[in-house]
Amino acid sequence: MSAQKIIVYPHPVLKKVCRQVGVQNEEIQGLIQDLIDTMRAGPGSVGVAASQIGVTLRVCVVDVSGSKLGKDANHGLLIMVNPEITKREGASTMREGCMSVPDYTGDVERATHITVRFTDESDTMREVETSGFEAVAIQHEMDHLDGVLFLDRIVSLKTGLFRRKKFK
Amino acid sequence: MRENTESSVHFAVTIIGKDRPGIVAGAAEVLFQFGCNIEDSSCTILGGEFAMILIVSHEKPFSKAKLLEDFRSFGEKMSLSVFVRTLSSDEVHYHAPVGELCMVSVYGSDRPGIVLRVTKELAERNININDLNTKLVGTSEQPVYVMMLEAVLPDGVEIEEVEKMLEKLKKELNVEISVRSVTPVSL
Repeated sequence: MSAQKIIVYPHPVLKKVCRQVGVQNEEIQGLIQDLIDTMRAGPGSVGVAASQIGVTLRVCVVDVSGSKLGKDANHGLLIMVNPEITKREGASTMREGCMSVPDYTGDVERATHITVRFTDESDTMREVETSGFEAVAIQHEMDHLDGVLFLDRIVSLKTGLFRRKKFK
Repeated sequence: MRENTESSVHFAVTIIGKDRPGIVAGAAEVLFQFGCNIEDSSCTILGGEFAMILIVSHEKPFSKAKLLEDFRSFGEKMSLSVFVRTLSSDEVHYHAPVGELCMVSVYGSDRPGIVLRVTKELAERNININDLNTKLVGTSEQPVYVMMLEAVLPDGVEIEEVEKMLEKLKKELNVEISVRSVTPVSL
């Protein structure tokens, strides 16, 4: 397994609603490894969803522990199969960029605090409560599973070129 | 902005006039019929005026005089001023500075010199402004000035330094100033 190429818009797969994963088999394990490898390979990347590497299944990975904004409050590497947000509270705005939409950023409003339920890589049901940057990253990656890009959620016209220099 | 190719020319178009519906559609129609591509653009209402700034490209050959001619009847009908400036190749290939982005809010009772004092401090430290807008709000008895700007910090300049250097202006100008990071998160 290896890092895959991140698919960029306008590739149609990014607008597809991904299917629920049935049984976790070798194929899913391989997909999970690819997602992790792809995230680790992307400079400053804190998450990847399956559709970003061309697989329309409800799987994504998030790890904000290496980023400046997430290093103090995180759950480490989260491998999420069929994730579902069961609780949302509050709203805060952050300027987001996405590897699948290079050179563009925009202010997006997301829930500040969420509870997310998912199956992990060993097929165990988990529930995680989180807030701040990790919550934003999870919501961003989960949007990909519904074919939603941050461009669909921009709340203000203040946008700009992606400043690629500082990720952390 | 798209890379300038040998076969195309880039130019800046600015259009301004009393706000009303149909200005953008009318301008876009003229540009489309002429064979232009609108690349980067920003349009907004300032006071009662609608202002458009567009970076536009066109295949060579391109005639500025001919484009202005095509804008004439639309411009006259809508009472707009239209300007066109051809961009040189180094303008087209300009790369804006990169670095941490910060947002500065300045507000307080209106008085002359707010824009000057704040931006002069930034310019002296080579801090590039990406975006700036101001608005006069409040009542005529108590006018309030609001300025929001977004700037790129050069290497070695930290956000705390910007806060500190603007701190002294609070007293001098009798305004509130706050600075915060808006560096995008990569997801």
